[in-house]
Amino acid sequence: MATNGSVPTVTIRIQRFNPDADKKPYLQAFQVKAPPGKTILDALHEIKEEQDGSLTFRRSCRHAICGSCAMNVNGRHMLVCDAPLREHVDRHGVLTLRPLAYLPIIKDLVVDRTSFWEQYQRVKPWLIPPENIPEKEFRMSAEEVAALRDAEHCIMCGACYSSCQVIALTKQYIGPHALLKAFLRVLDPRDSAPAERLADLDRGDGVYRCHTIFNCIDACPKGLNPTEAIETLRKLVIKRGAFEAARAERQRRLDQPIEVVGEAPALSGGE
Amino acid sequence: MRIFLMQRWSAVALLVFLTLHMVVVHYPPGHIDVDRVLERLDDPLWKAIDIAFLVAVLTHALTGAYMVITDVQRFSVYKRALAWAGAVAGVLLFVYGTRTILTF
Repeated sequence: MATNGSVPTVTIRIQRFNPDADKKPYLQAFQVKAPPGKTILDALHEIKEEQDGSLTFRRSCRHAICGSCAMNVNGRHMLVCDAPLREHVDRHGVLTLRPLAYLPIIKDLVVDRTSFWEQYQRVKPWLIPPENIPEKEFRMSAEEVAALRDAEHCIMCGACYSSCQVIALTKQYIGPHALLKAFLRVLDPRDSAPAERLADLDRGDGVYRCHTIFNCIDACPKGLNPTEAIETLRKLVIKRGAFEAARAERQRRLDQPIEVVGEAPALSGGE
Repeated sequence: MRIFLMQRWSAVALLVFLTLHMVVVHYPPGHIDVDRVLERLDDPLWKAIDIAFLVAVLTHALTGAYMVITDVQRFSVYKRALAWAGAVAGVLLFVYGTRTILTF
């Protein structure tokens, strides 16, 4: 890092691409100051406001909860609003920013997430409640809630989807993000359609398309474990009939006080 | 699921058969000469083991190749044709390999 007074200056190389003007993407370098506490997103804002107003990127909440600003920093996917600039420059004081991989580029760092959302819709990520909805509330055990907790923390940033090697080859694969949401619904004792969900996941581009490469775990900015969710779903697909019967039995007791529910599959990782 | 399970079960079988194969063929305990090799190849039990080994290898290789090829979106439309091609190749290779085993 070069120093300008007491504040070092770093070089940020950003992949640029304007489909109206460029034939292929290229890297453009910008110089920005890197005081302590400045995030990569702050630097992008500074570049856009002071150096090149045409720079295009997505961002929204700036609190690592909306998932809009996921991009590739020095080869790793992360949320740039949560990434301190100084920590990510290399020993030459350079940082390279690219859009999420394997997705069509709309402009600069903005990618087309159509296939990402289509696969998300495919798993019906909403709750399908049972017919006998209790008057007061659904009763769930602590174990059942704990099994769902990590999957609920997914913010749909697309980092896992974009790091998946299978997604690089085919957009027909459901993808780790949607499979994690499918896991959330299948394991939810309030959901009344686990067998239908598991039948859909059993298709050629469902859970068995995963090659257990673990890139999704490395990429997840929330420390979740989609691979383990996929493994759990694979086992449940095989035992679909017994699982459906157990769910039907469980739903008859949804409005009763929790006594013994038994062990629920748990996801490790988490925050 | 069927292809996935076939590949996993054949992988478990290969662990057993490959270990046996390495010990018997490449690192045999005690003295080894051509007479003992021919004696083993003539044994019906070993013929059965070799044929089972052949089945495991073919199942694992062909299901693996099928999964890898159908990963590619442009080839995935030919799933059915690829599955048939794999099955036919498997039968042909099985006949060829079995004839070799039964020659002795």
